[in-house]
Amino acid sequence: MVFLRSEEHLERWLDRSGWERGASMAATLLNELARRWWWTRLEPDWRPRTTAESQAILDEVGLRGEFWRLS
Amino acid sequence: MDELDLRIRNHLYAQFVAKGKAPSAVDTAAALGLAGDEASAAYRRLHDAHTLVLHPGTNEVRMLNPFSAVETPHRVEAGGRSWFANCAWDALGIPAALHTDGSVRSECPDCGEPVELEVRGGELVRGRELLVHFVVPARRWWDDIAFT
Repeated sequence: MVFLRSEEHLERWLDRSGWERGASMAATLLNELARRWWWTRLEPDWRPRTTAESQAILDEVGLRGEFWRLS
Repeated sequence: MDELDLRIRNHLYAQFVAKGKAPSAVDTAAALGLAGDEASAAYRRLHDAHTLVLHPGTNEVRMLNPFSAVETPHRVEAGGRSWFANCAWDALGIPAALHTDGSVRSECPDCGEPVELEVRGGELVRGRELLVHFVVPARRWWDDIAFT
């Protein structure tokens, strides 16, 4: 996952790299996702999340649809 | 995940946050009073459980997500220290995991120009205009996590 300066830069990068378009989002949304996803990672009582719990985080920030299905 | 694996996992994260590198299985065994092969086996189990990522065919840690044990284009500073992140998502994950403000220096893969982001009080206050692109769909993230 990479940061790009604009949609124009994304289009050009995809054209040049040959990769198919996946999913893009604003950095502000990624920051919200990162906060929810990583917030507990360093806590001593951390336990692995279930797939359903991880899916719920994606759902909560509006990342729904086939691309965002974990299983 | 059993208590030994969690203990080793927590030790690895604490060491990585403090020192910017992951201890070897030998060093972890010595620090926690374990046999060397106990720590090695735990590293492998943690890798298999996607709790960390080892370099292929070794017991050396490559990723302790969101931290990267190898240099990447994503550099994160927080609390006066710095680390590399595995990707854009992980870069913003480091301030989140540390519960602190932080800044990210990366680069646009199209033009190679630097991009800078800053998180303050949990909000992205710099770099808000940037986009992020995911090539790999979620169910395939762990097929090749280094590429993802």
